[in-house]
Amino acid sequence: MSEHKKLGDKEIAALGSSAVIFVGLIYYWLTEVVSTMELLELAYGSLRLFNNPNNPLLF
Amino acid sequence: MINELLLQFAQWLYAQSYSQMLLAGYYSYNWVEATHVLTLMLSIGSLFIIDFRMLGLILPNVPASTIANRLHKPMIIGFAIMFITGFLLVYAKPVETVQSLWFRIKMILLVCAFINAWIFNARLKAAEGSWDMDPVAPKNLRTGAIISLVLWCGVVTMGRYIPYDWVDCVNVENPTILWAAGCVEQLQAL
Amino acid sequence: MFSLLLNQYRRTLILFLVLALIIILEMVQFRAAIYPGLLPIFEWVRYSSWIGILGTTYGSIYATVEAGHLLSMATIGGVVLATDLRLLGIVFRDVPSETLTRGTHKVFKLALVVAILTGIFCAAGVADKVYYMQVFWFKMLVLAVGSGFVFFIKQPLLNSMPHAQINPWLLRLLAITSILIWFTVAATGRWIGFS
Repeated sequence: MSEHKKLGDKEIAALGSSAVIFVGLIYYWLTEVVSTMELLELAYGSLRLFNNPNNPLLF
Repeated sequence: MINELLLQFAQWLYAQSYSQMLLAGYYSYNWVEATHVLTLMLSIGSLFIIDFRMLGLILPNVPASTIANRLHKPMIIGFAIMFITGFLLVYAKPVETVQSLWFRIKMILLVCAFINAWIFNARLKAAEGSWDMDPVAPKNLRTGAIISLVLWCGVVTMGRYIPYDWVDCVNVENPTILWAAGCVEQLQAL
Repeated sequence: MFSLLLNQYRRTLILFLVLALIIILEMVQFRAAIYPGLLPIFEWVRYSSWIGILGTTYGSIYATVEAGHLLSMATIGGVVLATDLRLLGIVFRDVPSETLTRGTHKVFKLALVVAILTGIFCAAGVADKVYYMQVFWFKMLVLAVGSGFVFFIKQPLLNSMPHAQINPWLLRLLAITSILIWFTVAATGRWIGFS
């Protein structure tokens, strides 16, 4: 788009809708990551990714 | 003989603690499986676009060799991820997978698909430049593309069948199926 | 003046009205109002409609349709990655992105139709379960929003003018949003299977 041209209808609509969807989906995935981390922390304590009682790192 | 060897190998894998960790962990198996399935979009997605181009179904005004060359890298990355995650999935459930009829058919189809891809690539190189701007590829490449589509549809379908238990060793009595699925114990009990 | 604005910025105004409608419906708790009424429909689909019965009676048919769903997902993914990574300048840098956008849209539409039809069949077999799943409803929302985005926003803009005339950052935002949408639809679908 050249500097002097005004934003057209389709461009404004595209900018607005993609901004809303982008922010919404990023927010969704961030909350998913946070809740998953919380659940894993609850299950294993800090940084214990696998549920293995034989793992010397666990207990 | 080969069935026994495969089973022993699977039991050896199963005895390893990392195999059990992968299966028992919260989400670890699911994440590997989800990655395996979602990477279909990269690997098979790119492959299908190349095959569709050979058949003239997509982008007829772009040279076919351009499509094949530009999508080669994403496709290889996709298949590399598929292979690694696929191996991890087998590693997490070695005994079930080795004794799964669908898994065995899937592996055979995979080998066929790779042989086909190899032949296809050789033909593509041989025909390079002679037909690039044609909307449809020459007949031998079209055949290769159709075979590739059919084989990969088969691979995905077999992959989807693996978690189902219709022909699990404990549910089958037909000796041929038991042998094909590698159900060593059930065969001995017959 | 007003009619001029209406004509010149019709798409933007419609988008604004749709957003306002969504906000108003949320404020009057529209979702909560219609949710209980949907349960009988989902139960009918699962237990009485032919697709629900077919899918639950014959596991092999269900699994085969699932495979079809995956294959159409893969096709959608291939097209989305090829066109959107082109807009981001990662692949196909020597092919005009106008050509790619136009030339792949038909396959995208076809794959989306197959994915939706097979998806309805898959959901029908477990309709009594997905009704209670938040992730299912989220997937449906993203699918609806994503389809609207592609067909009423992205495709019309990209087909209306040479891409060199569009702000490159807008193109990048469109591409990333599109990848994010279809990744979310696919990933939530996989999660429905786990739940």
